[in-house]
Amino acid sequence: MVEKNYGNPELENKLRDRNYYVTDSNKDFSAEVKKLSGTISHMCYQCGTCTGSCPSAPRSSYRIRVFMRRAILGLEEEALSDPDLWLCTTCYSCSDRCPRDILPTDVIMAMRNLAFKTGHAVPKNFLQTVQLIYKTGHGVPNNDANRAVRERLGLPRDPPTTHTYPEYIPGIQKIIDHYNLKAEADRILSEE
Amino acid sequence: MATHMEHSYAFFLGCIAPNRYPGCEASAIKTSAKLGIELLPLKGASCCPAPGAFGSIDLNVWYAMAARNLCLAEEMGKDIALICNGCYKSIWEVNHKLKHNDELRDGVNEVLAEIDMQYKGTINVWHLAELYYDDKICGVKKVADSVTRPLTGTKVAVHYGCHLMKPQKDRHFGDTENPMWLEELVGALGAEPVQYRNKMQCCGAGGGVRGYDLLHALDITNEKLINIKEAGADALTEVCPFCQLQFDRGQVEIAQNFGKKYNLPILHFNELLGLAQGMTPAELAIDLHAVDCTSFLEKIQ
Repeated sequence: MVEKNYGNPELENKLRDRNYYVTDSNKDFSAEVKKLSGTISHMCYQCGTCTGSCPSAPRSSYRIRVFMRRAILGLEEEALSDPDLWLCTTCYSCSDRCPRDILPTDVIMAMRNLAFKTGHAVPKNFLQTVQLIYKTGHGVPNNDANRAVRERLGLPRDPPTTHTYPEYIPGIQKIIDHYNLKAEADRILSEE
Repeated sequence: MATHMEHSYAFFLGCIAPNRYPGCEASAIKTSAKLGIELLPLKGASCCPAPGAFGSIDLNVWYAMAARNLCLAEEMGKDIALICNGCYKSIWEVNHKLKHNDELRDGVNEVLAEIDMQYKGTINVWHLAELYYDDKICGVKKVADSVTRPLTGTKVAVHYGCHLMKPQKDRHFGDTENPMWLEELVGALGAEPVQYRNKMQCCGAGGGVRGYDLLHALDITNEKLINIKEAGADALTEVCPFCQLQFDRGQVEIAQNFGKKYNLPILHFNELLGLAQGMTPAELAIDLHAVDCTSFLEKIQ
C-alpha cells in the first residue's frame, strides 16, 4: 500500500481511520450479519445494481441497496424494524449481478433471522409455517379434497412422508425444540 | 461424485406437489420410468423446510431440518431427485453447505445426535429436470424418443424460477440471464418454445412474500403474465410447484384483485412431458388446476 505523507498530523490521523461514524451504529450488527449470511457484505460499494435487478423495488419502497448500507454502517434498528425487510422474494437476481460478488439476498435472510432473535415484528405467516411443520412435518399439509384426487391418480391417499409415517414427527419436533422455535412462535402469535 | 450409473433415486416430494398438485408427483413417477429413471419413496421425509418462510426465521433450524431429510436418503444409499425449485434450494444447498463447512456440519450433527441421526455427506441432490437434460442419465434425444403425442403446433413459454439456478456462483447451471436448456426439453416434446421479455424474473411468491403481502406478489406475477401473453404463448411450463401455484391460483387472485384475466394454462414440465408421452389429462389431474387447460389440450388432440 502506498504510504501517504502530507506532513499534516490532522489529515494523517483522518487517513489512518478507516471507520465510518454514525451515531446509532452498532459494529456487532455488521459482524453478525456477515457471519450469519456467510457473504462479504462489507465489500459493497453501493453501485445499486442490486436494486436495479430487484422485482420488488419497482412496486414498493423496498431498496436492497439501502439494506446493504445499513449492514455496513451497523444500523441495526433501522434495518430490523423496517417492514420492507420482508418484501424480498429471495430471487437472487441481485446476487447474480453483484459486481462485488456479494449475495445481498443472504444479507436479507441474516437480517430476518436477527429480527426474529431480537424480538422485532415478524410477519405472522412465517411463524405459522413453523407451527404447521411442527405439527404435521409439512408447511403445506394434505387435505381431503386432495386425498380424493391422489386416490384417483393411483397414488396413496397420503404421500409417503410424515403424513404416512407420523412416527417421524417427534424427531422433527425435537430439532425445532432444540432451538426453542415453536415455543417462541406460539408466544409471539398468542400476543398478537 | 455422482452415482451416474445407477438411475434410481430417493424421490423427495416436498409439500406443494403431493398436497396441492398431485399430478406433478404422478407424472414425475410415470414419465421418468419411461426414461429409465426409477423414483423410490423417501419414507418419513418432511417439508424441505420452506427456504423463505422457514429459513427467514432461523437458518440453523433450516439446516438441521433439511439435514434430517438428507440423512433419510443417506440411509437408503440413494441420491435424491426432486421436482421443486424451493425443495432444491433447501435440500441441494444445505447438502452443499454441510459438505463444505465443517463448523456448520458439526453444529447440525450435534442436534441430529439427539434423534440418533448423523449427516455424513454421502449423497448428491438433483432436480429431475436436470437429470432429463443430462446425457449421462437421459438427455434431450431420449426425451424426444419417448414422445408418442407430439405437442406440435403449440407455443410454450418457460419459467425457470429462481432457486434452481441461482445464485449462479454456488450452482452448476451456467448462465442465469438467458438460459435455453429447458427450451431444448420443451422443443423435444414437439412444442415451439417462445421467448418473452424478462424471462428470468421471479414468479413473485418466494421469500414468504406470497403470505406476507399477496398483492405485492401478484403484481410481480401479473407483470410476467403480461410479458408471456405478449409473446403469444399457449401455455407456461415450469419446474416448481410453488411457482405453478403462484401462476395458476394466482391468475384467479389477479382476476379478483386486479380485474385482469389471462386464461394461461400452467403446466409443470412433468405434466407437459406426461401429455407428450400419451398420458390423459385425467391421469395428470389437470382438471384440478385453477386455470382451465382445455384451450391447450384441444390444440394437441
